[in-house]
Amino acid sequence: MTAPSFLSPRLRMALTIAAALGSLVATSVGATAQETKSKLDAVLARGTLIVGTGSTNPPWHFKGANDELQGFDIDIARIVAKGLFDDAGKVQFVQQSSDARIPNLTTDKVDMTCQFMTVTASRAQQVAFTIPYYREGVGLLLPIKGKYKNYADLKAAGDAITVAVLQNVYAEEMVHAALPQAKVDQYDSVDLMYQAVNSGRAEAAATDQSSINWLIVQTPGRYVSAGYSWDPQTYACAVKRGDQEWLNFVNTALHEAMTGVEFDTYAASFKKWFGVELAPPATGFPVEFK
Amino acid sequence: MTDYPFLMELWAARGAILNGLGLTVAVSLLAIVLGSILGLFVGIGLTYGGGMVRFALRCYTELIRGTPVFVLILACFYILPVTGIQTTAFQAGLIGLLLFCGSHVGEIVRGALQAIPRGQSEAGKAIGLSFSQNFVYVLMPQALRQILPTWVNAATEIVKASTLLSVIGVTELLLATQQVISRTFIGMPFYLFAGAIYFAINFAIEQLGRYAERKVSLP
Repeated sequence: MTAPSFLSPRLRMALTIAAALGSLVATSVGATAQETKSKLDAVLARGTLIVGTGSTNPPWHFKGANDELQGFDIDIARIVAKGLFDDAGKVQFVQQSSDARIPNLTTDKVDMTCQFMTVTASRAQQVAFTIPYYREGVGLLLPIKGKYKNYADLKAAGDAITVAVLQNVYAEEMVHAALPQAKVDQYDSVDLMYQAVNSGRAEAAATDQSSINWLIVQTPGRYVSAGYSWDPQTYACAVKRGDQEWLNFVNTALHEAMTGVEFDTYAASFKKWFGVELAPPATGFPVEFK
Repeated sequence: MTDYPFLMELWAARGAILNGLGLTVAVSLLAIVLGSILGLFVGIGLTYGGGMVRFALRCYTELIRGTPVFVLILACFYILPVTGIQTTAFQAGLIGLLLFCGSHVGEIVRGALQAIPRGQSEAGKAIGLSFSQNFVYVLMPQALRQILPTWVNAATEIVKASTLLSVIGVTELLLATQQVISRTFIGMPFYLFAGAIYFAINFAIEQLGRYAERKVSLP
């Protein structure tokens, strides 16, 4: 579940039209100039990696109190930059709304996009996804001093509990997939949803597992996660279609961050934003083929 | 957290919000100044130009005024680069806004010039003034009084339209505010604060406009 961005339907349509017009012009202009080199060579020659990402969704990509972009997506981009230039700082971020993720790739505004992008087959027809770097799901946030301690307690409570959730067409359906009898209260914004849990108006809040983990990291000793999550979604970076060499490079950088030489960087970031300590990948037989 | 989390967070985020405000003022000011210069020429062309000039300018004003500024900004952001013009998001947004401003000011100027009775320019010609003398000394001073009130209105529209630049990633006041909200989860007070700043900017522009109107009004 990605955060609902403002102006969404109108924006998406306008972006699609603009990008379609853009690529139309691009094909007519670029028809004569043959592209032989990979984006990989272009990026290496330029000396900086240009990454599209957002700026309003902690813990993925947001401005800290120092007004600098930070978050898990930002760290992932830096891992790729380190792979390219041996310098995690050689990356330039282009801020974009969620709806601009695909148009900005197809019009070459950015070399790649790392912006909690859910992998879907229909999106894969427009851009090339890298290997995943996170699996999102919906989880349940509980107050630490509450009556219910975990998912089993909540489920046993049946219709005695109310679950706060961000307003959404599928909100009821989503909560009922995990807690079939629970009452569902929908809220306009994240702060109101957390407020409902704080004030006891709701026994639990259902939201992205990553948001729950981030809230627990930020305000230790106030909340716990119910320890159950559902509705899995794969997050991956994306690049423009049609450049296998560039895609292979980004895949390699991400793969080695999760299984090889850059694992410590990846694990440190994972701990920082999600509060979870990762076990180092097993040595010996390659983990991919287990 | 203290009793006033909003004021605490506002103070902590003052740098980010001031930067956003700076960008909003910069892009609005540039768009208004450059767009008004463009609009002046468009208005003159629409009034005195030949058939071809008038047709070209008509296409420009009709096209821009007939499409949302939002689409215009997206078009500048996505279509200019593929035609070989590389722009930053700020430049693309500025071009969008100044084209929007130019078309509106162009129509305002045309309307004002055409509202001047024919006798005025005929009288100018009769005493031997050249076209440019006639324009500068006879027509423009009269047109200016017509232009000012609607021009102030166009200027405030630009300030409001500058919020659309947040969509292409320009961290102007609105996006800066949204970034702070996403970190602090304090929504309503920050949005109200941003709204108050926009109001203050536009109120200042309107007061400036009133002042200018008094200065140029006939005694």
